Amino acid sequence: MGSVMDVSELKKNAKVEMDGHPYVVTEFQFVKPGKGQGLYKCKLKNMITGAVLDRTWRSGEKLESANVDSRTMQFLFSGGGAHTFMDSANYEQVELSEDLVGDDKYFLLDAPQPGSDQPIAYNVLFYNNRPVGLDVPSHLVMEVTECEPGVKGDTATNVTKGATVQTGLEVQVPLFIKQGDMIKIDTRSKSYVERVNVNK
Amino acid sequence: MAVWDAALRAVRSELRGRGLAEVLTPLRLPAVAVEPFIEPIAAPPGLLATSPELPMKRLLCRGAPSIFQVTPCFRAAEHGDLHREEFHMVEWYRVAADAPAVRGDVERVVEAVFEAVAGVLPEPPVAPPRAWIEAQAVPLMAETLGVTLRGDEDAPALRAALRPVSARLGDPLATVRDDRLATSPRAHALAAWTALFSAWCDVELDPWLAARRDTGVHLVELPPALAALSEVAASERDATRTVAHRFESHVHGRELANGYRELRDADEQRRRFADVNALRASLDEPALPVDEAFLEDLRAPGLPPCAGVALGLDRLVLLACGRRRLADVALELPAAP
Repeated sequence: MGSVMDVSELKKNAKVEMDGHPYVVTEFQFVKPGKGQGLYKCKLKNMITGAVLDRTWRSGEKLESANVDSRTMQFLFSGGGAHTFMDSANYEQVELSEDLVGDDKYFLLDAPQPGSDQPIAYNVLFYNNRPVGLDVPSHLVMEVTECEPGVKGDTATNVTKGATVQTGLEVQVPLFIKQGDMIKIDTRSKSYVERVNVNK
Repeated sequence: MAVWDAALRAVRSELRGRGLAEVLTPLRLPAVAVEPFIEPIAAPPGLLATSPELPMKRLLCRGAPSIFQVTPCFRAAEHGDLHREEFHMVEWYRVAADAPAVRGDVERVVEAVFEAVAGVLPEPPVAPPRAWIEAQAVPLMAETLGVTLRGDEDAPALRAALRPVSARLGDPLATVRDDRLATSPRAHALAAWTALFSAWCDVELDPWLAARRDTGVHLVELPPALAALSEVAASERDATRTVAHRFESHVHGRELANGYRELRDADEQRRRFADVNALRASLDEPALPVDEAFLEDLRAPGLPPCAGVALGLDRLVLLACGRRRLADVALELPAAP
């Protein structure tokens, strides 16, 4: 559980608990009319659902700080309705449910990225020591495992075809991409960015 | 730096020219004015001044003529575009004068600082208020809220009066602890009116002022519960209404100054400080010490009839520069490497 905090401790990036959810203050404005109560006008983001809301607190109100922390973890394996990660610092293993991970399952790789010898760093958000959120890197390089052959002689621009990468994610790629190519994917939009040349 | 030099020179020359003498009072004090939501910063064995009000009034009790001071003030945990923990106050008192006299001073000081700052600004000058108007606080609150208010409602009556508009204002009395204050009606009314006034300033007054940005506005005759250190007496406009002879001056939509026909009754002043501490206790805030020497001086030799005002100099410089954030005009040394 979080501890009681005074509204005067509110600031940008403060983490507060409301209705059993952790929120982070994304925008913060302090106004104080006359000899009146200070108003702490906040924009807050639900750290689990991403939902955004406005909330104003007044001087004299107490609120609960949210006991949240983010740990860097590496992905180990999936199975049994869960995805297992390991804390890179203390080797502790944690299971994240399929519900929690959602479509980010397409971005879980146990091998280092090309050119790196370190496992991919995933940020797992813990709330009251329970995993509640996963941040995957914004870009990942993955191998094309299946794609339709390109059509020679098609010169129209912006023409794409479907391709599947090693995790099962389907993306639209330019016609020149072949099976076995490494491509960079934007994990937020789940879209192709560029072909990556890898010296194997 | 030239801006501050020009502003300080203008303030001093204007107030001296209007017959006031400059004084300095201690920054570290045994006690400050007891306010619900102004938190002093500890400086053992005392507190840093949140305003120079009490020591300046003690000088007046001892026979000082009309006086002014430019001084740093400190208020804990105030951080924002228009708030800093350390800021500068121009505060002055006119003996044998009433609030309209110091309101006139405010207008002249504002004009003098705008003019002085314009003279040294590389950018095109910012115009001072074209004119000044007075707005009666309680009627304006009633009109903008769309409710009937006399201004002297107790907390339950105020809660009832606000019921139709409470949701629109974001439940302004939510922090008022009826359960803890029911036995202290004065503190209860103070809590309720303070909460309403704060919400009203944010929701109604700010847009109202924004629509009159080129006009200076004195919001006058506040509700009696919000008298703070001002005298409560019949309104100048309507003798059937009791009001606090307290005003707030706004320039370009920003609150700039707060002034009083000063309260001279030591017993009433002591009750007001006690009310504030009761309100603070209801919010689990610690009581603030009461300045007994100040209350003693109010009793004898006593405060002469006078009016005073405190004006935020940093905000005035900010407005005269046409800027938006105090940090934009702060005279600060670069951080150590």
